[in-house]
Amino acid sequence: MTDGHDHVLTVEHLEVEFDTYGGTVHAVRDVSFGLRRGRTLAIVGESGCGKSVTVQALMGLIPMPPGRVTRGSAKLGDTELLGLPERELNRIRGNRIGMIFQDPMSSLNPTMRIGDQIVETLRVHRGMSIREGLREAVTLLDRVRIPEASQRARQYPFEFSGGMLQRVMIAVALACSPEVLIADEPTTALDVTIQAQILEIMQALQREEGMSIILITHDLGVVARMADDVAVMYAGQIVETGSVDDIFHRGGHPYTIGLRRATPSNDPERKQTLEPIEGSPPDLFHPPVGCGYFARCPHAMRLCETNMPEAFELARSPEGVLHSARCWLQHAAAPRTAAVNQRRSVSS
Amino acid sequence: MWTYTLRRLIQGVITVWFIATATFAAMHMVPGDPLGSDRATTEAIRANLEARYGLDKPVFPDQYLIFLGNMARGDFGISFTQQNRNVNDIIREAFPISAQLGILAVLFAAAGGVLFGALTALYRNRLPDVVIMFLVILGISIPSFVFAALGQLGVVRLNNLVGQSVLPVAGWGTLQHMLLPALVLGLGTMAFLTRLMRSSMLEVVNTDYVRTARAKGVPPLRIFWRHQLRNAVLPVITVLGPAIAAITTGGFVVELVFAIPGLGRTFVEAVQQLDYTLIMGTTVFYGAFLVLMVILVDLIYGWVDPRVRLS
Repeated sequence: MTDGHDHVLTVEHLEVEFDTYGGTVHAVRDVSFGLRRGRTLAIVGESGCGKSVTVQALMGLIPMPPGRVTRGSAKLGDTELLGLPERELNRIRGNRIGMIFQDPMSSLNPTMRIGDQIVETLRVHRGMSIREGLREAVTLLDRVRIPEASQRARQYPFEFSGGMLQRVMIAVALACSPEVLIADEPTTALDVTIQAQILEIMQALQREEGMSIILITHDLGVVARMADDVAVMYAGQIVETGSVDDIFHRGGHPYTIGLRRATPSNDPERKQTLEPIEGSPPDLFHPPVGCGYFARCPHAMRLCETNMPEAFELARSPEGVLHSARCWLQHAAAPRTAAVNQRRSVSS
Repeated sequence: MWTYTLRRLIQGVITVWFIATATFAAMHMVPGDPLGSDRATTEAIRANLEARYGLDKPVFPDQYLIFLGNMARGDFGISFTQQNRNVNDIIREAFPISAQLGILAVLFAAAGGVLFGALTALYRNRLPDVVIMFLVILGISIPSFVFAALGQLGVVRLNNLVGQSVLPVAGWGTLQHMLLPALVLGLGTMAFLTRLMRSSMLEVVNTDYVRTARAKGVPPLRIFWRHQLRNAVLPVITVLGPAIAAITTGGFVVELVFAIPGLGRTFVEAVQQLDYTLIMGTTVFYGAFLVLMVILVDLIYGWVDPRVRLS
């Protein structure tokens, strides 16, 4: 997706490994994507597919050792993030990139007042005094729609509900008006009504601030609601990427299609039975030579087992977002199937 | 907070009452009596003394009630073995010495434990961790009198080397007298606290909120002080109460080796001589002290951890 667009963040050929007692885990294998300015990119995939590791690598949050980034680049504007010394990285984290996490209950320091935790970001990056910072913190709490913000700022995390804490996390992440907000499964730990509120707040703030969002989730409902662009991850790779419409309606990778079929729906028109994807993801201690989805793919061919498919370009959306899929079915010589949207331009 | 404090104090008083009752019962079940036969006493003198101390009355309820009444007024009675001495006076004289020694030892233990524990956690599985954890095993398993003797030997060598007395080998009076015994006394607790602090710190290092702090761009030193240390120190504070009591009361061996006229020594001598009033007085006093320390530490804990304070 590195094309003519105005990208805030560009990641290329990122590879991350972890040394464990069982051997080396190849958690992220050659991941590239671009984040368009002011837009939301959703990274979708099941547990353990490397979504979180990818963004944590960008933020320098992977514990090293045992983790290490073996290859790749991640550019925020002109700044290369990977391999940046801790001191300089600390000038970017919380300042130019904000991050919120999955479990708001454990993501805030239990012995520090809510206000102070917001003030800390402002003090570190803006050099504000405590008094100034607190005033700013109350404004921020107001903006994430926490009622009675000035009283709440003096309270501790255990006096808040999960949804309220996630709002606080958003306030912390947005304190310095970052260009990029990384939200690592921000609604997974919350119940559905609270989820909707959090997503709404994120959208409203994105409109006001014009920031770009990387949203990590395994909930396709959240993707449909929030995302402009989508990257589908499987076994440490991005298997398909494109605009949200391309991914939902013109899926070009059997895994994407499988995910869609495995999503429950309350639409009476649609078939009610869920179709789970049989099997489990490959062992990333010994990543497969060929396509990672080979073992579970209903369309697998002999070639898929031993040959890694490249990312075939399918089309461009009206906005110019490239739609590509890492699947041999997209090769010009591949057999036709009705289930997968295949590019037909080259051969026919 | 105030109701919490009040409730804890009332609980404390009840605990002390239990301790007093148990001590009283135990003392009267022990065979032998302080006015025993090896002293030259006639029947008349014996009867007089018994009347004086109230020993001619039935143990329960009369003696028990007298004992409780005196205790409530803070009067521990007269020593059976030391001439013309009140138990209160003995405690008043000896306890400050034990307390000074104990406080210094606790400071050594707490500061060392927290510092070394945090250090080992941050340098996990690297050289500082391995070395300190080895010393910790030594500190826990070697009894204090060995350290006391070794310490004295070391001081003697040091004084010989320098050619003048840098540190006194034993005795009591100045701060120099306190240093070595306090260190020896605190060593075991320091080792124990180091282990506790290490495991607690290791837990905190991997928490989500430390990750959040890093994602906020907070510099490492500030993360250590504001996010890691404060949360890791909570379990250490919990055990500090009993540790303070154990150190101040457990100083008997150290007091003996260093010839320190503290309460621990007085207490053990009283037991050997069956000095009823002195044993009961010191036991109840120690008990009350322990209870007070535990309450105090719980209140401090509430101050450090808002979750306890506010609920």
